[in-house]
Amino acid sequence: MGSNPRTVPAPMIVEDWDQLTFRVNREAYRSAEIFARERGWVWMHTWLYLGHETEIPNPNDFKVRTLGGRPLIFCRDTAGEVHAFLNSCPHRGTVLCRENEGSTRLFQCFYHAWTFRNNGEVAAIPDAGAYESSDEFRASMGLRGVPRLETHEGFVFVSFDPDAPPLLDYLGDAADYMTMIQQQHAGGMTTLPGTQLYSVRGNWKLAVENAMDGYHFAPTHNTFVGYLRESGYAVTDDNQYAYNLGNGHGLLVLTGHGGRISMIWEPRFGEDERVRTEAHRAEMTQRLGEKRAHYVADESHILFVFPNLLLFDIEGLSIRQLEPVAPDQTDVRAWQLVPRDEDPDTRALRMKTVVSFVGPGGLATPDDIEAYEAVQRGIQATAGTAAPELDYSDMSRGMADEAKGVQGRSIDEGAMRGFWRHWIEATGLDDGIEVNGERPASFLAGRDVR
Amino acid sequence: MTAIVNRGAVRCAGRTVTRQEVEDFLYAEADILDHWDYDGWLALFEPGARYEIPTTDHRPGWSPHETGSFVDDDWDLLNARVKRLKSRKAHAENPHSRTHRLVSNVRLSEGDTEDAFRVAASFVVHRARDGHFDAYVGWYDHLLVPTDDGLRFRLRRSLLCHESLAAGARLSFIL
Ligand code: FES
Ligand SMILES: [Fe+2]
Repeated sequence: MGSNPRTVPAPMIVEDWDQLTFRVNREAYRSAEIFARERGWVWMHTWLYLGHETEIPNPNDFKVRTLGGRPLIFCRDTAGEVHAFLNSCPHRGTVLCRENEGSTRLFQCFYHAWTFRNNGEVAAIPDAGAYESSDEFRASMGLRGVPRLETHEGFVFVSFDPDAPPLLDYLGDAADYMTMIQQQHAGGMTTLPGTQLYSVRGNWKLAVENAMDGYHFAPTHNTFVGYLRESGYAVTDDNQYAYNLGNGHGLLVLTGHGGRISMIWEPRFGEDERVRTEAHRAEMTQRLGEKRAHYVADESHILFVFPNLLLFDIEGLSIRQLEPVAPDQTDVRAWQLVPRDEDPDTRALRMKTVVSFVGPGGLATPDDIEAYEAVQRGIQATAGTAAPELDYSDMSRGMADEAKGVQGRSIDEGAMRGFWRHWIEATGLDDGIEVNGERPASFLAGRDVR
Repeated sequence: MTAIVNRGAVRCAGRTVTRQEVEDFLYAEADILDHWDYDGWLALFEPGARYEIPTTDHRPGWSPHETGSFVDDDWDLLNARVKRLKSRKAHAENPHSRTHRLVSNVRLSEGDTEDAFRVAASFVVHRARDGHFDAYVGWYDHLLVPTDDGLRFRLRRSLLCHESLAAGARLSFIL
């Protein structure tokens, strides 16, 4: 399929190990054809993050959500089992559930009043005798479930491809970072109500790049860094690293960006929190052992799970989901993930701290959004130019180290390169990458954290 | 939100505050914000005051300290926000958005404490930036305190009535 004719003339990626350059064709962010291809290949065949099981804690709970443009019902049936159904009546296609969330045993279509149980079975078809073989007919008319649904540490993923590999195989090394999140608190974690729902005028891949880009932190977040410094905290980019985890997943390990509620204290958290942090850290060491507790507690992680999940395990924990709407527009949904058994003071401090950084009203995220919205506007400058070689963005930073086998820093662009290499495969654009010179073997090196 | 009684005045801290006085205060605030006078804006708060914007899926009774929100500023963060907005390095607001605010449907009621009262009002904020013109619509749910120097915010809360924030409509300015 990679040889399908397409209108993008030049390679999507040019990777050159002689020149140590890596360039991405800006059509990738603009083209309607590429966007359609992403919908058909990436969103139809990979695992997609749907939601967290704590969003629907009780039998009969449901949320509606759109993935890859498809309306879905994410629900727990009366027996407690989690499902994802197409939110579309099997009769003539009407959106079945028109509430965003709630609790129900039955979903009834308002159009002709067909009714379905929350495990997908048909509950009632009015005047079913009008159908010739009404029992078989009825049996064939259950809600259409997504072909695959699997859960890891409470994170629920779906795939529209029945042949997708097992979720854990797909997650690979990313799975353990999700386990670390679950291990942060003995009582486990839960999502909270109060979802940040917002949309940006930028391609979804720019949001991924931004999250995997430590290089922008100091200049873009100058005012936020200033606030941290004033509150008595040193901010540094030293000893911070980026990892490709395979399958397009990426990880930034950060040790210099502010504290972590209940794990790394800093002055702006106040004295009470210092005492609580020490106690929690001691409990973690006992529960997890010194080494594992160190990885769980002492470093911040920004984890990207290809293609639509970002976990910001920083001051607090934000789950961010990306839903591409158009080449130049992305819907973002963000939930706060918190310890289930947290005392109210810590919870209040956590919420304030997380929201002060993350989200469209924070002191930092608006500048990120400004950055990638500005990229989306700026890259029109070289569209369709007579010198197509100018229509590329540069992501070469850190390749010199990579060629020497030195671990990439968070302020390099290695995690982005890992993303783009996988994107080429996932979109089936096999001929879309041009590699010159010899790719070093070390760029997929993992990390032993156990 | 507590029940709102529509009336022309409320008793607070031993004196009567009229709706006209509150309206004048809110109109002056709108003018200050539309003219990007952030020192003037901060002067409208009592020390220790808060600024909050719940998420668009907010339900009555939710506390921002127990749920996700867009803005949950205590006094330190509010000061940091103002300082940031005055900086050339607040990239999301450089150049500044242009805003135009309408405040209406002002209603007064007693607060939970003797020294403060509650104000509900409707707002429409239009914002021009990057070649787009966005409307933000919602309700204010404020706690005000009368002082010798006039009214001051103890809590300034903006509740959006949108289902989500539209593309480009991030809250990098004051809503
Ligand atoms: S379309 Fe749903 S009952 Fe007819
Ligand atoms: Fe950023």
